[in-house]
Amino acid sequence: MLLKLAWKNVWRNRLRSGIMVAAMVFGLLGVILIVGFMKGLTDNMLENAIKYQTAHLQVHNPDFLVNEELGAWLPDADAMAREIRAIPGVEGVTVRQVVDGMLASAASTRGVRINGIIAADEAVVTSLAKSLVEGGMLPKKGRNPILVSRRTAGKLNLRLKSKVVLTFSDREGEVTGAAFRVCGIFNTPSSGFDESNVFVRRADLMGYTGLDQSHEIAVRLDDGDAVDRFKNLVKGVVGGRGIVQDWGEVQPVLAAMQGTMDISNDIVIGVFVVALGFGIINIMLMSVFERTREFGMLMAVGMTGGKVLRLVVLESIFLGGVGSLLGLVAGMLMTAVTGKIGLPLGKMAEGLGAFGVDAVLYPNVTTATYLGTLGMLLVTSVLAALYPARQILKKRLSEALAEKH
Amino acid sequence: MSIIIQDLTKTYNPDTDFPVTAVNDVSLKVEQGEFVAVMGPSGSGKTTLLNMLGGIDRPCQGRVIIDGTDITGLPDKALIGFRRDNIGFIFQDFSLLPVLTAKENVAFVMQLQGRSREACEARALELLNEVGLGDRIGNVPGKLSGGQQQRVAVARALAPKPKFVLADEPTANLDAQTTYGLLDIMQRLNEKEGTTFIFSTHDPRVIERAKRVIVFEDGQVAEDRCQEVGRSEDADVGN
Repeated sequence: MLLKLAWKNVWRNRLRSGIMVAAMVFGLLGVILIVGFMKGLTDNMLENAIKYQTAHLQVHNPDFLVNEELGAWLPDADAMAREIRAIPGVEGVTVRQVVDGMLASAASTRGVRINGIIAADEAVVTSLAKSLVEGGMLPKKGRNPILVSRRTAGKLNLRLKSKVVLTFSDREGEVTGAAFRVCGIFNTPSSGFDESNVFVRRADLMGYTGLDQSHEIAVRLDDGDAVDRFKNLVKGVVGGRGIVQDWGEVQPVLAAMQGTMDISNDIVIGVFVVALGFGIINIMLMSVFERTREFGMLMAVGMTGGKVLRLVVLESIFLGGVGSLLGLVAGMLMTAVTGKIGLPLGKMAEGLGAFGVDAVLYPNVTTATYLGTLGMLLVTSVLAALYPARQILKKRLSEALAEKH
Repeated sequence: MSIIIQDLTKTYNPDTDFPVTAVNDVSLKVEQGEFVAVMGPSGSGKTTLLNMLGGIDRPCQGRVIIDGTDITGLPDKALIGFRRDNIGFIFQDFSLLPVLTAKENVAFVMQLQGRSREACEARALELLNEVGLGDRIGNVPGKLSGGQQQRVAVARALAPKPKFVLADEPTANLDAQTTYGLLDIMQRLNEKEGTTFIFSTHDPRVIERAKRVIVFEDGQVAEDRCQEVGRSEDADVGN
């Protein structure tokens, strides 16, 4: 009966309760969309970084991490790659020779990182092949093919089959270089990555540097959530031959950004929940004060203080629960729709491209966020009922019964 | 069952410059099955006396002994239980829960006693039939007239089978015909269930029906008399 009474009491003043519920629904909808947008943004940045740049794990010579010099190569890189590839759950492994150099065309010159890759392996580990907007991947045959980004092509006035000259240091520390011909133009979501990377065949690069060794092993996993477990497995394979890093260590700024975004999302939800708590306190105070005499009657006929407290708490939970559930369902629907069709970033896309964000964003809210928010709102509803209930319970019974309302 | 009031005094604001003594050294005894009207002008202390009889307020001095239990000495929690099991209340403004039906209003107080739902509903139906509202059990108070609401309140007061019922000006908001109907019902229940009724009132229609009239003035008993009473023949209990 207490449950029934509490539920019916909530809807005694339908306008007031309705306004509160509507405020909760719209507030929650806004919060869920903000949280979903921010989470979608960071997820997209991370996904793109892993997809196009870091993969899930990387192995380097420790010296390479201090100074990316040609001499800091990874011993037995190809053998290590074969061993890592044999670990169940590893989707692909690629081995790269990496050199910093200059890219020159007839129009301009710019500093780039030259990635010497094995095209077939790279296609399994990164989405470079899928990001080609003109031409194709590095062919097995033909003289010195090179992949440049659309941005670089634009700045250096390059087209397919344009000739460029790469200059870099060889094994002896002497400046060397060679002419390459553009066989493909790629475009990833990260403008920064695009402007600073070119891709050539590893064998070609090894020929010009005079070094038949590699600097980097990139590993892609079947399950991106199992990075920590696989990191240990790969460490076991690599032993003392190199340092194994996960994507967060390779791109610490991204990892920090993800952590910061999670905290800021928690703060946004927390502030909303507290504000909502005050709203519920306000409604419950009005509700119990206008029923002072009724509570007096209930206590006169034998309702204990504990039951009065339970009644007020139940009313608060029902009010907060209805608003929370409707708000969360509205938020889930909105997130599901925008998560499917995406939110075009419009003019923001260019600026956010520097951080590797796609032009269309897909909001994402985890089940844990929904459940956590619901839990916090229910707890807040309980807490919000305590003060109004106390105001009633501390009144003398004869005074409560003498109230005019 | 008897109610013994010994040297009862209630003073409001006792530690201020303006103390107000609402009940002053009153002693009374009410026996099982009495139908008592406590009358007097506004501010004479009737409601304060009833509050202390019902354990709603505590006296500054004196004792209220109900069926051998000194309720003035009971701790709060025990007092709530005592009220729930022994005292029925009827209020001037009916004080029904507006969101519950007539049946639920009556059954609710019994559920506070921990009785089963079935038992509560059966007793509620019995009492609502007794007060002539058997066909209105599903109506919420807003769908009942003032007289019907007060009859639900009477049924609610009797539901837990209390030793006595305290009614604070129960007919103040009712017209003459409804008042007579209600008094008939209460008289019948008084006789049938042997429940003691104590009213505070200044309604002459109630006073003429009371077997005993206690006149209150300035917080003291000015007169305490017994009288012969009848029952109205033309009361319309259907209101």
